[in-house]
Amino acid sequence: MYYLGVDLGSLSCDAVLLDHDGGVLASSVVLTGARNREAIAKATDAVLRLAGITEDQIRATVSTGYGRDRVEKRLAAVTEITCHARGIKSLFGGAQILIDIGGQDSKAVRLDPNGQVIDFAMNDKCAAGTGRFLEAMARALQVDIEELADLDLGASGNVTLSSMCTVFAESEVVSLIADGVEVREIVSGLNRAIASRIVALVRRVAPMSNGLSIAMSGGVAHNSGVVRALSQAFETAISVPPKPDTVGALGAALIAREKYARQS
Amino acid sequence: MMLQYFQRLASVTEARISKYPHQPNARKKFALEIAKLGIRLYSGEHRVAWCGVVAPFDVLSAMNVTSCFVEFVGAMLASTGTVGMFLEESEHAGFAADTCGYHRAVLGAAMKGMMPVPDIMIATTCPCSGGLAAMENLARTFKKELFVLDVPSSDTSESVRYLADQYKNMMRFVSDRIGGSIDEDRLRESIVKSNRARELMIEVYRLAQHVPSPANGQSLANFGIVMALFLGTDAGIEIAQAYKDEYEEMIRNGKSGVPDEKIRLLWLQNRIQFKHPLIRLLEEEYQAAIVIDELNDITWDAIDPDDPFTSIARRTITTPLNGKISQRLDHIQRLSKLYKVDGAVNPCHWGCRQGTGARGLIQAGLKEVGVPVVNLEVDCVDTRNFAEGQLRTRLEAFMEMLRSNPTAHGA
Repeated sequence: MYYLGVDLGSLSCDAVLLDHDGGVLASSVVLTGARNREAIAKATDAVLRLAGITEDQIRATVSTGYGRDRVEKRLAAVTEITCHARGIKSLFGGAQILIDIGGQDSKAVRLDPNGQVIDFAMNDKCAAGTGRFLEAMARALQVDIEELADLDLGASGNVTLSSMCTVFAESEVVSLIADGVEVREIVSGLNRAIASRIVALVRRVAPMSNGLSIAMSGGVAHNSGVVRALSQAFETAISVPPKPDTVGALGAALIAREKYARQS
Repeated sequence: MMLQYFQRLASVTEARISKYPHQPNARKKFALEIAKLGIRLYSGEHRVAWCGVVAPFDVLSAMNVTSCFVEFVGAMLASTGTVGMFLEESEHAGFAADTCGYHRAVLGAAMKGMMPVPDIMIATTCPCSGGLAAMENLARTFKKELFVLDVPSSDTSESVRYLADQYKNMMRFVSDRIGGSIDEDRLRESIVKSNRARELMIEVYRLAQHVPSPANGQSLANFGIVMALFLGTDAGIEIAQAYKDEYEEMIRNGKSGVPDEKIRLLWLQNRIQFKHPLIRLLEEEYQAAIVIDELNDITWDAIDPDDPFTSIARRTITTPLNGKISQRLDHIQRLSKLYKVDGAVNPCHWGCRQGTGARGLIQAGLKEVGVPVVNLEVDCVDTRNFAEGQLRTRLEAFMEMLRSNPTAHGA
């Protein structure tokens, strides 16, 4: 018996397949693009192929992400807040704060010792500091988004961005380049600006975050520069799983397994 | 356009009430009276006063003036789905797009000639300075003198006297503009009716506290704030009586507003006034009922018919919308306990500095009484800024949190 979690996000569609015991058999990440159902099919086909099983062997599917209602044959649709919390708890049992930065929103989630969500906060009406924001900045810097991760290394940290509005920040980055400011200083400034927003978000769920164990999920966690900036801002190490973008799908698959067990 | 809208609303609602007289129809009666009020405002056949939110509507009713707070128009335009063009009109005239949608809509409607020119304009300094500014703008547009009721923030005998004296001046102001003298008997009659509606409203609120509640997600939406417009009239008594009868019968028959009620919610500040799927989502997917709105269950001592202005001044000054946020917080905490709520939804009406500015204090205050809060970012009138997916995710995550962990602390 197998269990599937599908996370249809704004930038990527992720799938995780679990075996009967809850072990991860396969995971996949595909670009969402304009056709949601195609992305869902691609992500699902990929994990089935990797695991060498067929769709009819899946006992239960739980969907999550902004397009969770578009996943057919689902046992349930569960929000990404609950799914990321469930997923991160299975990876880092002691996590007390989860930071999830996805394609168009960012979240801070406070977890109890059992991994239940006891508080959460999301970005206000603006996608600054999310994956879309970083895409725009990479475009302004004329680099691939993956390259952003280490471009801040060696920066002195003396550049501060005055705006986090994606449009204004892009203009500011272009101006800084024109002024001859080193790319690493600009990237460092961007990372610190994102970290500053996330710190404010975390304060809303945990006014005193000192000493709390922090983990991170979502595609932006691949960017080691952002993770470094967050670690510095919180003065603690941030736990990041090897595949941070599949944590939501993992949580969804785990919930699928639990729900199926309860129903049977 | 608005007159036709209200006429159609009245005829459709009347037809529904006639067709199903034995079905629960308190909300329909409420809607019918709102439609009739709209007709009176827009027909050109009645004396009209555009007012601030806490104007003494029972007094104005006694003076035979059809009076209404201007935010009502913003809400109505939103509910008709036509508000966008009025918001754009005011924005083209220079009003910032991130100010209160109610006021932008009203200003746009006035600019487009969609607001009847009033006979009288009475602003109130409570509950917000934005409302006062909107009234000043409207007064210029309509070329009318504006009477401002300056509502003091503290509940002292001096403050009460100060406001009570202003009501007397207000009556003279009105009387000078519509002619005729003040009819003391008519005022007394209005106060008696206002007190009767008040008694019934208190009963309605008491019944809504029942577990499970006869209230669902929509039945008491905008109730308290709009009922103020019907104080002093037979309509006010009839609406409140209809709710009381309906809720009593539901409780007697073991019926709840939301079948199999599982989650009880407090809705803070304003409702989202345009059509949206979130309330139905709460009811159908999570069996969540909005058992109380912050703007409902604002009660006051009975008005003394022999000294009405002193009593009305106290009613206004002690409204939780007036003065310090701690007063509002006390009210919200009281409601949370009385109605046994599991969580609170704060739409944080985007352009409202009072609403968004108090967000942190309210969240902390509700945390003290064990009530988690989900903050939405929405302008309750501006349909153009409604991010349904984002709001659904926040609300659904909140429901999941409440279901899985009843002692959750906030969102």
